[in-house]
Amino acid sequence: MGRTGIAHIYASFNNIIITITDLTGAETITRCSGGMVTKSAKDEGSPYVAMKVAQTAAEAAMEKGFDRVNVKIRGKGGKKGGSPGRGAQTAIRSLVRAGLRIGNIEDVTPRPHDGTKVKGGKRGRRI
Amino acid sequence: MAKARARTAARKVKDKWRAKNWYQILAPTLFDNAPVSETLSDKPDNLIGRVTEVSLQDITNDFRKAHIKLFFKIENIQDGNANTQFNGHTLTSDYLRRMIRRRKSRVDGVYDVETRDGAYLRVKPFAITEKRIQNSQKKLIRGVMKETITKEGKTKTLNEFLIDTLDGKIGSEIYKNCKKFYPVKRVEIYKTEIKRSPSIVVEEKKPPKEKEVEEPKETEKKEKKEVKKIEEKKEKPKKEPKVKEEKKTKKPAAKKEDKPKKKPVVKKEKSIKKPAKKKEDKSQKELKPAKKKEKTTSKKQKNEIK
Repeated sequence: MGRTGIAHIYASFNNIIITITDLTGAETITRCSGGMVTKSAKDEGSPYVAMKVAQTAAEAAMEKGFDRVNVKIRGKGGKKGGSPGRGAQTAIRSLVRAGLRIGNIEDVTPRPHDGTKVKGGKRGRRI
Repeated sequence: MAKARARTAARKVKDKWRAKNWYQILAPTLFDNAPVSETLSDKPDNLIGRVTEVSLQDITNDFRKAHIKLFFKIENIQDGNANTQFNGHTLTSDYLRRMIRRRKSRVDGVYDVETRDGAYLRVKPFAITEKRIQNSQKKLIRGVMKETITKEGKTKTLNEFLIDTLDGKIGSEIYKNCKKFYPVKRVEIYKTEIKRSPSIVVEEKKPPKEKEVEEPKETEKKEKKEVKKIEEKKEKPKKEPKVKEEKKTKKPAAKKEDKPKKKPVVKKEKSIKKPAKKKEDKSQKELKPAKKKEKTTSKKQKNEIK
């Protein structure tokens, strides 16, 4: 029997970071990010890199005896941030491809209940 | 040099991983100590205070409860098993967001409750209405929430309270009470946080406390009943012929005789553990069925009168 863990996926627009932990979230098992896979900064947030990142993370986790994972996915969050970035979907898909079973998927983007004013003025940013 | 450093680093990491032991996390006694998840650490002391998240579906195998997340906090460790205590629960964020729509009002409240066994809880219910409602109506709904939750908390122990919240019984109770003021579409408790765990000392003191509290209540009830009966007497004779009057006057008299018997019956339920009172109870049990018959007959007679 394999063990279960949690895959924390942070998918912003410019990068993706996957950290796989145990179920308490206190012990990290592996961690991988966009910069570990590509050299060019502009690609770090792209779906292709997300796929590679998820693969490496999944392989390392499976080596340590994990075969099941609950996914917690988040985007930038805060007053500026919105939903998870481009790489989020592909990252989950490639986790499955790599052979991990997925329990439940949850969006844990930190959203403000209220907050300070977003910059850009009343009429928004004009280019 | 760089390569050599990298190698040593890799070795160190591997050794760390092997040095760590696995511990199985058991659910609290509320959920029958079922094995829930696993953690690892090099020292067992490091485990204490960690919090695991488990969905109710995993424990009960009921897919309708997949949206409830429970949090268990590790308290102590025995032979590789980590014992936990219930630390709170939430609903998943997507489940909450699904219910909140445009042109509907959401009313939520935050209430602190002290349960009968001395635990201190923070309970967060929320209600959703069919239409947008005024602030005054929201206030009423919040008042109902507070009343029902404090009432439930006082009469129940922590575990009973938690079971009812997770089953949605307390939510439905609030729903019923809210109906009088404004029809509410849905009421649910979306969060609980346990601030202080129950103290066992208070549990031992419970039985004497109950008696003190409940005896005065009984007397109050009796008084009320008496008042009601007196009212009945006054009203009914005016409307109806003399023959039936006699019957009615008999009934309340019979009821009055019963009252003293009721007192001990109530006590019986609470003092099941005490064998001394049982003998008295038997005699009262014999009296019980007789009472019921009287009541039923009285109802029939009332119907006839109408």
